[in-house]
Amino acid sequence: MKNSLFNWILLILSSLVLLFILAPLAGMFLHTGGSELIETVRDKDVQESIWLTLWVSFAATFFFAFAAIPLAWLMARKNFPLKNIVQGIIDLPVVLPHTAAGIAVLGFISRDGFLGNIADALGLSLINNPAGIALAMAFVSLPFLINSARDGFSAVPERLEKAALTLGASRSRVFFSISLPLAWRSIMTGFVMMFARGMSEFGAVVIVAYHPMIAPVLIFERFSSFGLKYARPASVLFIIVALAIFILLRLISLKKKEVQLSPDAEA
Amino acid sequence: MLKLKNVTKKLGNFALTDINIEIPEGEYYVLLGRSGSGKTQLLELIAGLSEPDSGEIWINNQNVTSKKIQERPVGLVFQDYAIFPNMTVFGNIAYSLHSRKLKRKEINQRVTSIADEMNISDILNRFTQNLSGGELQRVALARTLVNSPRLLLLDEPMASIDASLKDDIKRTFRQLNRNGLTIIHVTHDYREAVSLADKVGVIHNGHIIQEGLPETVFRMPVNKFVARYAGIRNFFRVKFLWEENRWKAVCDGNLVFNISDSSYPEEGLILLKSDDIKISGTEPSKCIDNCVKGVIREINPSEYGIEIMVDAGEIFYVDLTVNEFKLLHINELSNVWLTFSKEAAIALPGTG
Repeated sequence: MKNSLFNWILLILSSLVLLFILAPLAGMFLHTGGSELIETVRDKDVQESIWLTLWVSFAATFFFAFAAIPLAWLMARKNFPLKNIVQGIIDLPVVLPHTAAGIAVLGFISRDGFLGNIADALGLSLINNPAGIALAMAFVSLPFLINSARDGFSAVPERLEKAALTLGASRSRVFFSISLPLAWRSIMTGFVMMFARGMSEFGAVVIVAYHPMIAPVLIFERFSSFGLKYARPASVLFIIVALAIFILLRLISLKKKEVQLSPDAEA
Repeated sequence: MLKLKNVTKKLGNFALTDINIEIPEGEYYVLLGRSGSGKTQLLELIAGLSEPDSGEIWINNQNVTSKKIQERPVGLVFQDYAIFPNMTVFGNIAYSLHSRKLKRKEINQRVTSIADEMNISDILNRFTQNLSGGELQRVALARTLVNSPRLLLLDEPMASIDASLKDDIKRTFRQLNRNGLTIIHVTHDYREAVSLADKVGVIHNGHIIQEGLPETVFRMPVNKFVARYAGIRNFFRVKFLWEENRWKAVCDGNLVFNISDSSYPEEGLILLKSDDIKISGTEPSKCIDNCVKGVIREINPSEYGIEIMVDAGEIFYVDLTVNEFKLLHINELSNVWLTFSKEAAIALPGTG
């Protein structure tokens, strides 16, 4: 009897949480008519902003992955002084208010900032530029990739890497032939999470670049200028596109042959 | 072939201390020790996976202490084989050959040849997830041997395979050793040492506490710990006495053993192998060295037949074959007489 009551409580609480997530989304979809949606699909500004959001977020994820994945391996495999502080730095963007993160990035990429200075010398301006947007997106979403990849590398039994070394492989060959393929699923999960997080970023990006408008900024702009009714179709369309991309990437990452990793037997 | 000179390595709270081992070419050396005694760490030092804090490692008259793993003529087979799950059996075996940038044709030739030798030709194209323990063991061996190491390090090679396959694997190891390969085999099981070793080393808490021929180590263990490894279960804390022109050992429970002549300290241990004790249901007509009367407390099946626990003021364990047991017509609570020679009673100083 007790057990049954407990199960009911669990069921009700879980349903409430799921309803809390689904109800606003369902409401938004139900309040958006087909004709409004089609009109929004045809809207060039909307098309451009969604496309910009997708490719900039993808590019940010792709390019930062080259440095983030080795960092994740280091965090998983090596012990070094102040490692906990390094982990804290990695997690920092998750706890920062995103507008504050945007201000920080703006300071870094403005003409007075370190990176802005270099870009300026090359005749580039990172403010109101896709490159600046990519940096803002990467700043807030990098922890997702690094932490997921780190967990993936940690799950690869160290003895496999040791075995490869005893078989004459160089450190880099061990990384590319053993560690990376075996941590691949977690890396891909982190990649998708970073991409999705970057794509949905508003606070940091709006500080760095109001124009060109990424989809979250465009939705905000329509809402503040024309009201809820005009912001809704663009939101629905962006959600549909984001979900489609998210599902597609998950499918691609899952398609990679699953490799069973047994727990590390080493004492 | 291999010389470890005063090798010391600290690992957290644990340390391998002053390890000195010398293994000539072609020797089968078994390193015996419990888990956590430092066996695997020692193999990793020899393989080059870690560097000692002090001391030297020499292989083939070359000081390899600071040499890279890739430059040592050593092959290491890990306890659970460490087979790469993202590769086929072929890919696993060919891995080291790719590292050496050999031509595809030569790689194919060498993989096929070693796979034939290890009887795994039929599984070359399979992924490794569904292979049996025995197959994985052979893949791991093939993967290491294809690189033609001069020294083969085996870390608990029998730990993860069925008992039925152990004899097969032992035959393979013996054959490899007969063909001239020097082997260091790490295990916690003294029976592997007895059946394979030319020489045995016993490691405990990072120290080699005894080393020698297997028969010497198991016949004359230096302390209780080594004795346990020799499968000895009968230990008696005793005081040694010179009485009536002979040496005697008096147990805490006042049982007295006659022991062979030697010079003993005041206190120590007497060790008795279970199969050195004879048991009978009737009082022996003549008692030569030691006769003890006791009551059977337990009769349990054992690996070799029947193990009998006898309470004679001290607890004795006696091993019998099933046939010997049937002929004796004894049961629990039967009175029995235990006899053993004074040479069978191994005396050790201290309390081990």
